[in-house]
Formats: sequence, C-alpha cells, structure tokens
Amino acid sequence: MTRGSRRYLRPDAVHRIHRLELRARAVVEGVLAGLHKSPYKGQSVEFLQHREYVRGDDLRRVDWKVWGRQDRLYVKEFEEETNLRLTLLVDGSTSMDYAGSGDRPRKYDCAATLAASLAWLALSHGDAVGCGVFDDRLRAHVPARTRRSQLTCVCDVLEAPRNAGPGDFLRVLRTAAETLPKRGLVFLISDLLGDRDGIFKGLQMLRTRGHDLAILHVMDDDELDFPFDGPTRFDGLEIPGQLACNPRALREGYLAELGRFLAEVRTRASTARSDYALVRTGEPVAAALVRFLSRRASMAV
Amino acid sequence: MPTFDFATLFWWGLPLAAAPVVIHLINLLRHRRVPWAAMEFLLASQRKFRTQVLLRQLLLLALRTAAVLGLVVALAQPRWRQAIGGLLGRTSTSHLVLLDDSYSMGDRSATGLAETVTESADGDTRPATAFDRGKRVIERIARDLSTAAGSHELAVGLTSAMASAAPRGDAVSARPPLIVPPAAVTPSALQTVRNALADVRVSAGVDGPREAIGPATNDWMAGATAGRVLWIVSDFRMRDWGDTGPAGDVLRGLAAEGVELRFIDCGADASAANLTIERLEVVGGVPAAGVLLPVEVEVRNDSPLPAEGVVIELREDGGSRPAVALDSIPPGGSATRRFDARFTGPGGHVIEAALRPDVLPADDVRRTVVDVVERVDVLVVDGDPRGGGSDGDAFFVATALAPGAGAPTGLAPRIEPPRALGVADLARFDCVWLLDVERLDAAEVAALEAYARAGGGVVFFAGPRTRADNVNRTLFRDGEGIYPVPLAGAVDLLPTPAAATPVPDVIVEEHPVVTVLAGQRNPLVEMVRIDRFLAVERGFDEARAGVRRLLSLRTGQPLVVERSFGDGLVMAVLTTAAPAWNNWARGNPSWVVVLLEMESHLARARRRAENLTVGDPVAVRLEPGVDEIDVDFLVPPDGAVVRQSAAGGSAAGLESRLPAAAVPGVYEARWKRLDGTERTRLRAVNVDPAEGRLERVGRDRLARGLADVPFRYDRTDALDTATGSLGGTSLVVPLLLVLVGVLIIEQFVAYTAGYHPVSRRPSGA
Repeated sequence: MTRGSRRYLRPDAVHRIHRLELRARAVVEGVLAGLHKSPYKGQSVEFLQHREYVRGDDLRRVDWKVWGRQDRLYVKEFEEETNLRLTLLVDGSTSMDYAGSGDRPRKYDCAATLAASLAWLALSHGDAVGCGVFDDRLRAHVPARTRRSQLTCVCDVLEAPRNAGPGDFLRVLRTAAETLPKRGLVFLISDLLGDRDGIFKGLQMLRTRGHDLAILHVMDDDELDFPFDGPTRFDGLEIPGQLACNPRALREGYLAELGRFLAEVRTRASTARSDYALVRTGEPVAAALVRFLSRRASMAV
Repeated sequence: MPTFDFATLFWWGLPLAAAPVVIHLINLLRHRRVPWAAMEFLLASQRKFRTQVLLRQLLLLALRTAAVLGLVVALAQPRWRQAIGGLLGRTSTSHLVLLDDSYSMGDRSATGLAETVTESADGDTRPATAFDRGKRVIERIARDLSTAAGSHELAVGLTSAMASAAPRGDAVSARPPLIVPPAAVTPSALQTVRNALADVRVSAGVDGPREAIGPATNDWMAGATAGRVLWIVSDFRMRDWGDTGPAGDVLRGLAAEGVELRFIDCGADASAANLTIERLEVVGGVPAAGVLLPVEVEVRNDSPLPAEGVVIELREDGGSRPAVALDSIPPGGSATRRFDARFTGPGGHVIEAALRPDVLPADDVRRTVVDVVERVDVLVVDGDPRGGGSDGDAFFVATALAPGAGAPTGLAPRIEPPRALGVADLARFDCVWLLDVERLDAAEVAALEAYARAGGGVVFFAGPRTRADNVNRTLFRDGEGIYPVPLAGAVDLLPTPAAATPVPDVIVEEHPVVTVLAGQRNPLVEMVRIDRFLAVERGFDEARAGVRRLLSLRTGQPLVVERSFGDGLVMAVLTTAAPAWNNWARGNPSWVVVLLEMESHLARARRRAENLTVGDPVAVRLEPGVDEIDVDFLVPPDGAVVRQSAAGGSAAGLESRLPAAAVPGVYEARWKRLDGTERTRLRAVNVDPAEGRLERVGRDRLARGLADVPFRYDRTDALDTATGSLGGTSLVVPLLLVLVGVLIIEQFVAYTAGYHPVSRRPSGA
C-alpha cells in the first residue's frame, strides 16, 4: 500500500461504506442485469460469483437453489454487473488548498479522502474506478479499471505532486466528456469556486453523453460560517487581490452571497440531474458519504 | 464662557483625542493575514456594504474621539463663569477678601469640632474663635488659588481698617487697610499670606463688612479688566445683616458689574450665653473729694436662659474693692446694680467693672473715669440787695448745699449779686441758683442762657421781688427764654377748711429728684406748708412746652417745675427759698435732701463722663495761652506714647486729639502748662456693647434680605475648597452625563459595526 492509500483510506470510512452498494441511476454501458441498468439488455454474461442479497436487488437474480440449501439469500453476479465505470474528478486547483483553523484538513485532503473512499467502495464491488486530478487541465489521471491494484493507482494519482493553479472546469469536463470511453458515473469532487457556467456546461456535456453525475461540494467550515473577527487581510488564493477589513462588518453580506452561491449550485445541479451533497471539511468524511449514499440509494428505490 | 480649573491638564490631554485614530491606524497595520479561497463572496459583500461600513467606522472613530476628548475636558474641570475671562482670553482673576475683625468675631462658642488654637510657644491652647476660623479659611482660599488654573491675584483686608477711606487708628494701634496687598497667588507666596494672617488679631471695634464693603471696593473696582471675586469672611450677626440697607445696595452694584460674591460664615451656629456690661456710670452725687458717689452698672443677658448669681468684680484705680452681684438677669433682658464709690483725692479716677470671661471676653469689662475735684463751685445769685443775712434766701440755700464739715457735700456755694452773671465765668460753676432776683439786664440774661444752653443747670427761686410781668418779658419771652413757665403773679395758698380732711400742701410728682420723698404719707412732705407762691398763667400747656413737675400744690398748681434749655436743665421753684412764703427750709430735712438732689440732677449733664467707644477720637481741650499745644497720649494696654499737637481756631477752641481709639482701656493725656506745671486727663474707652448681641442672621434671612443679589454662602466647616471655592458653575457632572451617553452610543455603533464579539453561529449551510 502506498503512502497515499495509507493516508486517504481510513479504516472507519471503509468499514461504514462496506455494506453499501453503489448504484448508478442512469443506464451505463456494459450491460448489467439486476443491480445496474445496462443499455445492452438480454445479452448473456458470464457468471462471476454469488454475493449476499441486499435490499433492492432484483429478485429474479436470486439463486433459489442456494436458498433452498442454505436458507440464505444470495444473488448471482455476472461479469457485466461489474461494468459500472466510476470516474472520480478531483479538483486540485489553488482554492482547494485552503485549510481552516484548528485541525481541519485542507479541502483537497478532504476531497481526496472522499475520492479514495468512493474508489474503494466501487472496487470492492467489482466496479471500475478511474480518477483524475485537475486544475486548469487534467494533471494526473488513471483510467477506470477493476484491477486489484487500481486503488493504489487511484491513491497515487491523488497524492501526485500538484502545481496548484487556477481551475478551468469547462475545459476539464469537456475533456472528460470527450475521452471517457463508456458511460458511467462521474463524481465531481470540488469546492466549485470558479466559473459556474463553465462547471455546469461541462456537466451538461457529460450528461448528454449519458453519464450519471454526482457532485460532492467540499467547503471548509470557515468558508461556510465566516467566523473571523479582528482586523484581517484576506489574500485571494485563486482570485488575485487582497482585502483588509473588519470581517464582522462584512460577515452578513458574505453569508448572503454564499447563500446565493449554494442555492445556485443546488438548483443547477438539480437541473443537470446531478446528485449533490455539501461536505464540510469539519465533518467526518464517512458520515458525509453515508449521508450521500443513503440519500442516493433511497432516491434510486 | 467656560473656563477650566486645570487648564494645563486640558492642553496636555488634548492630543489624547487623536488616540482612537492612531489606534485604528495601528490596527490596520497589525491585521492578521488569511489566505482565502472564497474571495468572490467577500469582495461582493465589500462592494455592497462599503459605504455603510465606512460611515460606521467614521462614526465610531468620531464617538471614541469625542469620548476621549470629553474625559480630558472633565478632568480639567470646566467651569462656567459669568464674567471671568475665558479659555483663550482673560484668565486673570482678582480676589478681595474682607475679613471681619469686629470684636464679635472673638466669639469662642464651640462649633462642635473641638477646634483649638495654639496660643504660645509653650503649646498652650485656647478655644478657636470665629476670627481664627476666618483666618484658616483665608489660608485655604489662598492655597487653592495658588494651584488653580489661570492667574489669581489676592488681597486681604480687615473690615475695621477698610471701613473708612482715611487711615484710622492711633500711630500705635493703627491697622493698615490691606494686610495682604494685591499680589499674584503662587505657592511661594503662600507663606507671606500665612505670616500676614498670623499677626492679626480681632479688633475691639464694631466695623464689620457692612461698613467696609463700600470703601473697600471703590479702588478695587476701578481699572483692570480682570474677573473679580469678593469674599466676605464674617460671623454674619443679625445686628449687622438683619437690615442690609446701604450694604445691600453696594452688593447689588457689585453683582451688576459682574463681581462674584462669596460669603463665608465662620460663626458658631449656636452661640453660648453671653453677658455684656452695657453701662457703668456715676448717676448722681457731687464728684468732689471725700463725697460718696452713686454708681450704676448694668448687665445684659444675651441668652435664652436666665443668668443667676452674676458676680461683678469691681476695681477702683486698679485696686480691688468688694464685688457686687446680680441675683438674676432674665433672658434677653438687663439688670442694674448700684454701688457707692468715694475718692479722697482730686484728679481722674478709674472705676472698672468686670464679669467672669465668657464666650466673648471683650464686652465683659467696662471702665469709667470720674474727674474728682476738691470742691465743686456753685454760684448762688442772691437777689436781696442787702445780702440777706441769716434769714435770707442765700443763707438757707448755701447751708443746704454745704451744711458743713460734718456733712461734706463737695459743694462750695459762692454767693454773689446778680451783676456777677455778667462778669463771672459761669462755666466754672456746677450750677447757678438765682434767688428772688428782681431783674436781670440783657447781658446777664444772655450769659445765663448761654450757660444753660451749654449744659449748665439753673434754678430760679421766687419771692417778693420776683415780678411776674418782668419774668415773662425778660426771662420767659413766650417760651423762648430760659424761664420754664409764664407767671401770673403771687397768690396765697388758702388753708384747708377745718372740716375737710387735711391734705398736704405739697404733692410729690414722679421725678428722680423727689424720688426720695415719694410714697404714701411721707411725714416730711406733710410738714411742708406753703403760704404763698407764684401762680402760672392759666391755660399754659405744660406738656406741650416740655415742662415737667417735681412738686405740685394741693390745689393742682405747680410748685417746682423743670424744663430743658439747650443742653442744660432749668428749674423754677415758685416759692421762696427762705421760710418766708413757706416753712420748708426751717428744720425740715427734706429741704436739704431735695436741694442736693436738685443740684446733682441739674449738674448731671455737665458731669456726665464722655462715653467713648473704640473708634472714637480721644480729645482734650486746652486753654490758649495757658497750655502748651503738644499732648502725649498714653495708649493702653502698654502705655505707648503718641504725641499729638493741638489744633484750634474753631468754636471747640484749642483741642488735641487722638484720631481714633483702637483698643479699649484708659487713655491718659499729659501736657504741660506754660508755667511748667503738668496736667493730666484720663479718658475711658470701652467697646460698643451692642456688638455683644451674638444673634446670627442665618442663611435664609440673609438670602431674603439680599433677594436680588446673587451670592454663594458657605460655612467654614462645609466649604468645598476643591471646586466650589473658586466660584462659577462646575460643568463636570453634566459633562460626565454626556460622556456616558456618548459611550453608550459608541458601544451600540461598535456592535452594529461588528466590533463586538458575537456568538459563533453557523451559517446554516
């Protein structure tokens, strides 16, 4: 296990998401019967393995013979069921380097943890996982695979040295839309601090190509609460500029602007039929993922 | 215009008002740096609220600056003064302190503070007087002014010295008008003030602030544009301030000119009982060697309680003699005691009466001088051209006035014919008795009337030679002349009818001369028989003419009458002196008694000693061509000599005068005659007993009496020397209230501007 995997795969997170299955909402390429909706209906696929039945599985896939023998429910997994392609796009721009006070991690660290956790979940279910880190372009990436060592590759990508610069979401998402070979589930893990029109235009491109979308909106508690007081000079991380002020005097206006931003993001995500979750860096990653996946799972039913 | 008690503090503190701005600028440089990702929201907020934030910051700065400035001003203790110079203009203030040194300020009544004063280097102490408290408060005033803002000039004067424009007092006891001349009050000058105050004592006079205000402020008000404060340090007695009168007018004028008036009351709230010797005088007798002289002493009780068993110590010529006592003196009233004095030798003699010293010792001693002569000459003008002999009027009168060696009266009758009136110096006679004089020519009448007007006593006896028409024409002259009543002519007094109840021929009226005969059934009076008398014209209004009866006849007609003539007294006995028309002088003791009382009564005006009080001049009359003009006055208590040269040419003749007696006691005047012999004359000077009335006017009544005069009244034990003593209205309290309001507003603005820590509530995102 590389240093990146040791850093981003927390045992508690692995434990909590282990029992969940990841379901894609949209039809993905690579025919899946049962759990995943595949555009290639009817094709037979090679039996791969039995796995324990979980609520929501198609009852037609239940192996009744096993049930008769063991009095336990198992479903048959075919190779095509593992053809969920999970693509994790992690924002590595300058703004993701912000870390709040105390022992809160940087936003990038939180995003990378989320990505690694999702990768492990997908890989543990036999899904292919790919990952890319971007700022104004895709800097490091690994295509989606199901190999056992894929998690390591994902973590290596996440940990690769970054020369963080300003982000260009439209370019990156267009590139992803044009290069991803098959439809799958695309996670955008970012603070979305950039050209929002570009973000959602890019997401729309992915949607057009049949990808399922999910946004994990990572923001620091400071950015959400703006708890500063006393004379402070704010130096822009991505937007050049400085502002020396009394934060308390601007807090009300800042929060109003932030509220408008979050509302816009939620609305546009909904419009783009993309799952959305706001993740605070002060919040445990596992809890955030559980919350997200549970809601996603309930919506899928 | 406001001024500052501590202007220096204001100017030094003024730059502190810039502190909030400086702190704000420093904070801008000391801000922490935060790398920030969500700049777009921050910048959007800043763009939206920039103006509002800036205005709030400016308002906050302004409020904080105002708060600091307000605090600096409050510490500088601003004061609103009516006419005293302002912050940048006139800051010079002239202070004039009038210290009341009238002798009531020697009141030692306790104030409840157990104040004492060290009397000597040995550490002896005595109770503090109102004067002591007054001096102490002046020291406090000077001390405060020495550290007060602005420049202050202080002058201190005593009211006794300032009561008149001219210098007063003898060369020894004279007090300078100002004990502290106008000078800037600095810490180094304080000792000068203390030294000047240490040397002054309360005076024996009665001139207080009421008499001194006008003369004291005349020069002080002239010229200079400085602000002025008049301090009156006094005990504020009812006697001085019950009726403000002209003093109130002066104070009104001063207030109208912008003078700030400060009254400092240093009297004790409740003065203890005070006894005052109001009078000590010889009330009769003949001041001749060896003759008993009746003396009266009167004591007043200024107390709400009766004074019991008051002992009066007596001294004659410095030697003790038995004391006398007054059983009881009612509260607020007086009591009189009579005693006899006798001096064996001629010359000036001193009688001194003293009470045990109480809260006001100055009025517990009184002295009088008795000028005793070997004998007192009395002129008896005998109208009998034959001389009278042993049956004549002159014999009976002279014998009554001077019975002989066995009964010395001190009187030396000198019998002369009527023409002596025109040639003799009547002034040397104690009295002039005219016995049945037929006529006086104009010169003699003029001399007699001049003598009476000057205070001499004259007695007319009637007789067969006395013609009513002549008396009326030459001596009565329709009331203008010396004779008391118009005469109608000689009339026989008819005897009482045998069947009627016997009634004495003579009825005693109320008159001090015949007091000895008053009373029911006086056998001596009943023995007197009047056979013939001169009747007064009918219809004569005795009361209107000022005629007073001593004796009347049973018929209601006057027998002996009296009237004032000028400064003297004139009596008319409307019967004979010799037992011709009556039997009075024959063997009736009352005859001698009445004549001696008449003589004493008639001569009282001439014998009455001058009642000199402190402040009065002490003068002696000299005879031109007989006395030298230089007179040495020995001034009590030490007998210091002050030489005064006589001046004259007026109706008063040649006179040597000590301008004003500053201390009570016996003053001795010595001079020489041209023949080399020495002459002396004693004069007793006493304090004015009225000053011993210690009733105080009180603040309320004083305010009513000076209703339209703005003044500030303080007591020495409640004087606020820190702030109130400098006059003006302090603005500290109103300023502090405004400051509190500014701070409350500042806190509110700071809260709305986000400078207050608030609870960290999440955004809800």
